[in-house]
Amino acid sequence: MRVSKAGLLVVAAIVIPIVVEFRTALSWFGIELSVLEGVALAVTIVLAIVVWAVWPSDGNGNAETEPTDPE
Amino acid sequence: MAMRNAYVDQFPAEAKVIKAAFWSSFLALAIGGLLGLVQALHRTDVVRFIDSADYYTVLTAHGVLLAITFTIFFLVGIFTWAVTTSLERGVVDTRFTWSWYAMMVVGTVLVGVTIFAGFLEDAPEILGAPLNADVLFTFYAPLQAHPFFYVGLVLFVVGSWLAGVDWFRTWWAWRGENPDERIPLPTFMVLTTTLFWYICTFGVALSILVFLLPWSLGIVDSVNPLLTRTLFWYFGHAVVYFWLMPAYMMWYIMLPKLSGGKLFSDPLARVVFVLFLLLSTPLGIHHQYLDPGIAEGYKFIAMTNTMFLLLPSLLTAFTVVASMEHGARQRGGEGYLGWLRALPWRDPVFTGMALAGLMFAAAGFSGMINAGMNINYLVHNTWWVVGHFHLTVGTAVALTFMAAAYWFIPQVTGKALWNRSVALGQVLLWFIGMTFMSNAMHRSGLFGMPRRTAEPQYSGFEFEPAAGTVGEINAQVALGAVILTVSLALFLLNMVLTSFNGSSDAIPDNTYAGTLSGPEDAPEILDNLKLWTAIAIVLVIFAYTLPVASIVENGGLFGPGIEGQQLTLVPDTATVLETVREVMP
Ligand code: HEM
Ligand SMILES: [Cu+2]
Repeated sequence: MRVSKAGLLVVAAIVIPIVVEFRTALSWFGIELSVLEGVALAVTIVLAIVVWAVWPSDGNGNAETEPTDPE
Repeated sequence: MAMRNAYVDQFPAEAKVIKAAFWSSFLALAIGGLLGLVQALHRTDVVRFIDSADYYTVLTAHGVLLAITFTIFFLVGIFTWAVTTSLERGVVDTRFTWSWYAMMVVGTVLVGVTIFAGFLEDAPEILGAPLNADVLFTFYAPLQAHPFFYVGLVLFVVGSWLAGVDWFRTWWAWRGENPDERIPLPTFMVLTTTLFWYICTFGVALSILVFLLPWSLGIVDSVNPLLTRTLFWYFGHAVVYFWLMPAYMMWYIMLPKLSGGKLFSDPLARVVFVLFLLLSTPLGIHHQYLDPGIAEGYKFIAMTNTMFLLLPSLLTAFTVVASMEHGARQRGGEGYLGWLRALPWRDPVFTGMALAGLMFAAAGFSGMINAGMNINYLVHNTWWVVGHFHLTVGTAVALTFMAAAYWFIPQVTGKALWNRSVALGQVLLWFIGMTFMSNAMHRSGLFGMPRRTAEPQYSGFEFEPAAGTVGEINAQVALGAVILTVSLALFLLNMVLTSFNGSSDAIPDNTYAGTLSGPEDAPEILDNLKLWTAIAIVLVIFAYTLPVASIVENGGLFGPGIEGQQLTLVPDTATVLETVREVMP
């Protein structure tokens, strides 16, 4: 894990306002995402972050990096 | 048990009062929050539990219970904690402390009973008037409440004044024992906040005692509505800082500690609180940009003062984030942003307060829109404003208080928190729910969706959102409201189950953050409370004398003679129109 479980939860929560506002912002440029597309975008981003978080940071399968350590 | 050094071990008598104040505030939060859900579902026409005619009863209860009762009961609790902890001495006399608390409770009960009587088919007649108070939490004329409502408010406010006396007394006693010491930062924050609370509540006391109460008792037959509005907003802006200052205090003295570090600068924090003392009150007219009868020039002065007040908030953002970064680096965090990962995100107290601060930043942006005189015309009295203040008082304050409760309740009871993971989930859910609800409210405001309306579904008229559909935006409000209610339920569950826990040895010590740059770096003059109070009063006189004089001159001290409107009794539009015509010839 590259971040703690709690850290991951917090990041996932923060993605939500970003996607919600991003969808509104995009519409000013004529790009209208439907609700479903918005949800899909959020899920994709959160999944990407989860994958990043659990991916071993140095190619070594069981690298356990403590959240407080530098990358 | 021998080693434990929680607040309850240091100040057992004070801890009892603080605990009582916290529970009073949680009760208000529980009832008020549930009514919030009722409103959100009603307006969006998802489910209508109540008759639309009762909507204003619900809305009044929601506004009063949350914006006045919940916030103020909680803050008198933490202010009492802050004074006693930082002065390292108890209050002078706990019987006095209990008596102001009791006075606030009696006031609240009187106000609450009067509001909720509005739901009765036949409200009892007391003192010759039916018991109700559908006047919203702003309670200015022409809406009129039963006298009990005003009496209850007065008791509540006087109770809070006496609480201030208690804190000052305690400080004076301490000063006698420690003549050469600087005022400790938490006490300094409490005292400056109390001082502007005195200044601003003077206006609302005047409004109630001289105008609204005699009018509801039939002693005078009319009032000047613009005058009561202006007196309300004289208080109504400063009250938002009364809610916010305790949250700021938590961010200044708890967040750095929780992050593992120290407060960046004690002098800067003092400057911020002095600026709030000076500027909280002389800008209430920014709530009245659209009121006819106040000249543009006065509104411009209010706008200028408002923009100045951005300064202390930006200073706060800087100091608090710098302190968190310092803490994170102490814990081994590195890199430009990498240090963020070293923060204690697992701790609901930290995460709740940090997210509350983040939402407050967003609220700052929508607040700047509100504060601009011209652009305010676009959003005035729309749902934009409701979206804005659910980020400020509804999150920056409420979420900080809930997060703080996870630390304070163990401190004042000696019992360990029932479940920290549930607490973490709770603060995250509040953040998510408020994102949905507030974003949709802001967007609704942009296409003119009015606030304070039970059924904003009009025939022969369609709102035209610039982005998305009305249906989708309403769904987002309802979804947000449901998530918020779940979050609220989890908070209360945690509090209740914590109170069933036995006493625990594992309660952390009662401490707050140290400072990197301490009071010795702050000029002595910052602690001169008399000077700052005098300047604050002068600024108020500058900002208000002329507008109030012209309001009285144009509309009469007691108005041109209009009858009060009790909304539930008069669903008749003709009467309402007639009143409007009388107010605006
Ligand atoms: C469960 C969470 C909450 C929900 C679902 C909720 C919902 C609402 C809704 C829908 C309105 C607008 C009614 C209208 O314009 O017709 C409203 C108004 C308001 N809310 Fe909340 N709210 C919640 C929490 C809070 C909190 C925590 C506070 C303050 C601490 C708060 C303070 C207010 C105030 C002051 C008003 C304005 C009342 C008025 O216009 O007179 N709310 N709320
Ligand atoms: Cu204001």
